[in-house]
Amino acid sequence: MQKGPFFHQWFGRPGSLKRGRIIFIWAVFIPIIFLFLSIRVFPIFTNLSLSFTNAHLIRPVTKFIGVRNFFILFKDLQFIRAFRNSLEFMVIAVPGEILIGLIFALLLTRKVRGRNIRGEGLFQTLYFIPYILPMVPAIIIWRFFFSPGEFGLANYLLGLIGISRVAWMSNPRVLLLAIIGIHIWKNLGFFLIVFLVALKAVPRDLMDAARIDGASGWQTIIRIEIPMIKPTLLFGTVLATLIAWSAFTEVYTMSQGSDVSSGAEIQVLMLRMYQEVFTYSNTGKGSAISMVIFIMSVIFILIEFKIFKGKRI
Amino acid sequence: MVSPFVWAILISFMEKTDIIAVPPRIWPSKWVFANYIMLSQVAPFFRFFLNSLLISSVAVLFIAITCPMAGYILAKFNFRGLGFVFGLILATTFVPLETYLIPLYLTVKTFGWVNTYQGMIFPLLISSTGIFLLRQYIMSIPDSLIDSAHIDGCSEFGIFWKIIFPLSFPATSAVVIVNWVYTWSQVFMWYLVMANTEKMFPMEVGLMYFQRHFITDYGGMMAAAVITCIPALLFFCIFRTKIIEGIAYTGSKY
Repeated sequence: MQKGPFFHQWFGRPGSLKRGRIIFIWAVFIPIIFLFLSIRVFPIFTNLSLSFTNAHLIRPVTKFIGVRNFFILFKDLQFIRAFRNSLEFMVIAVPGEILIGLIFALLLTRKVRGRNIRGEGLFQTLYFIPYILPMVPAIIIWRFFFSPGEFGLANYLLGLIGISRVAWMSNPRVLLLAIIGIHIWKNLGFFLIVFLVALKAVPRDLMDAARIDGASGWQTIIRIEIPMIKPTLLFGTVLATLIAWSAFTEVYTMSQGSDVSSGAEIQVLMLRMYQEVFTYSNTGKGSAISMVIFIMSVIFILIEFKIFKGKRI
Repeated sequence: MVSPFVWAILISFMEKTDIIAVPPRIWPSKWVFANYIMLSQVAPFFRFFLNSLLISSVAVLFIAITCPMAGYILAKFNFRGLGFVFGLILATTFVPLETYLIPLYLTVKTFGWVNTYQGMIFPLLISSTGIFLLRQYIMSIPDSLIDSAHIDGCSEFGIFWKIIFPLSFPATSAVVIVNWVYTWSQVFMWYLVMANTEKMFPMEVGLMYFQRHFITDYGGMMAAAVITCIPALLFFCIFRTKIIEGIAYTGSKY
């Protein structure tokens, strides 16, 4: 079959540059993009559509039931508890990680008598190691640290200072705070590194000019360095929000222990979704919870964009 | 910061009586290895390690090839819809894997890949961050190099393998290292969902399931936890600067 000029206009003559490029794109790009779409894009729509049905892992009949899933959820006491826990998680973990990471990064970039602080590499490494370690062993180690027995190091150390023992494991409010603390401990290294790199990229002559103009150290920090790293701060905050909302491993591992009597009280939304889908086989409700997590994350990210982009530099 | 981990190592060498002593001891009075020897009888920890190794290696290998390819096309080519695709990639960069868990699980279930290696590796094959970073990096490769290669008669695939891929090595290695750490230490929920039999557990899931053997055996528990941390720590010791550079690069490109 003779290919006409229209075909050659689009697909190039055989052996031409254009034909080579088109073949490359089709052989390489389209499969990758297809894989990308099926892993990252289509599932969002599947999630959305599933949340409006009563899909079930075992029962084969799926019916469209509209927003009934959401109504059932919002009346469920356990869901509300999980929602509050997730909110608490985000409210404490995100500022914690960002602020502490920022403060440490600022400290590491101070000049003492004109020279950089020594031991910066060591500090970086020490704080970065918890980020590298897998979460499950870390939680197991911390759980032993907070043990209620006589050998629990946490209570022992508190006793040394003179504070009475805290019921770490049996009081769910305290346990949630402890888990959030572990979450912050683990992710601090990442934010420290990111902020450190961003702070180092602030041009030194800006700082020197301000110093010459008479700005004190504190003023250079507030008025110059922090505004200069605003994009990085926004990036960090968004990332911290997302990982706070999808926290799962910490809470799951903690509540698998034998000395935790408050498994249901410290539940987080993501854990609730897991329970809904894999214990109760209810994918419709699970998708609804997933959509709630997604929507809450998006809401807070939009708020953060407003905060960081709204103010004047 | 690392004191809990150091303390866990010390405990794993202690005897039972030392561990539950009051007040809590930090340094073992007698160094015992029984905890570690007991581990191999409780669970096939080496098998867990091999599983983790397999999953991470395959995922990272795939990413090392697809990210430069996609980045090259996004950076140097120009056709309709490319901007839209790039926008999609950018938009999905931050969304964590757990958000897609249910649809991904259903997809993998229809393929029959539950509890197989393919199933566990499947969502780890694409890294939006990786593609974005590679695109930014490849954009800095001068067009004249590519044009002169074309003039000399190089095929498109040849250009990719011989010019773009070697030149984008720094960015690719950063992406590879960050993704290795990610698939080894930070993917837990997906592995938990996928792995249903003992033989398929990666390290974290294996530790998770076998901690019920150690309810009061704190020494054994700490030994198991330490063993799970060792590969990540070893990797960190070897590639320390590269890892920190990679993470800094990933985080600073915004």
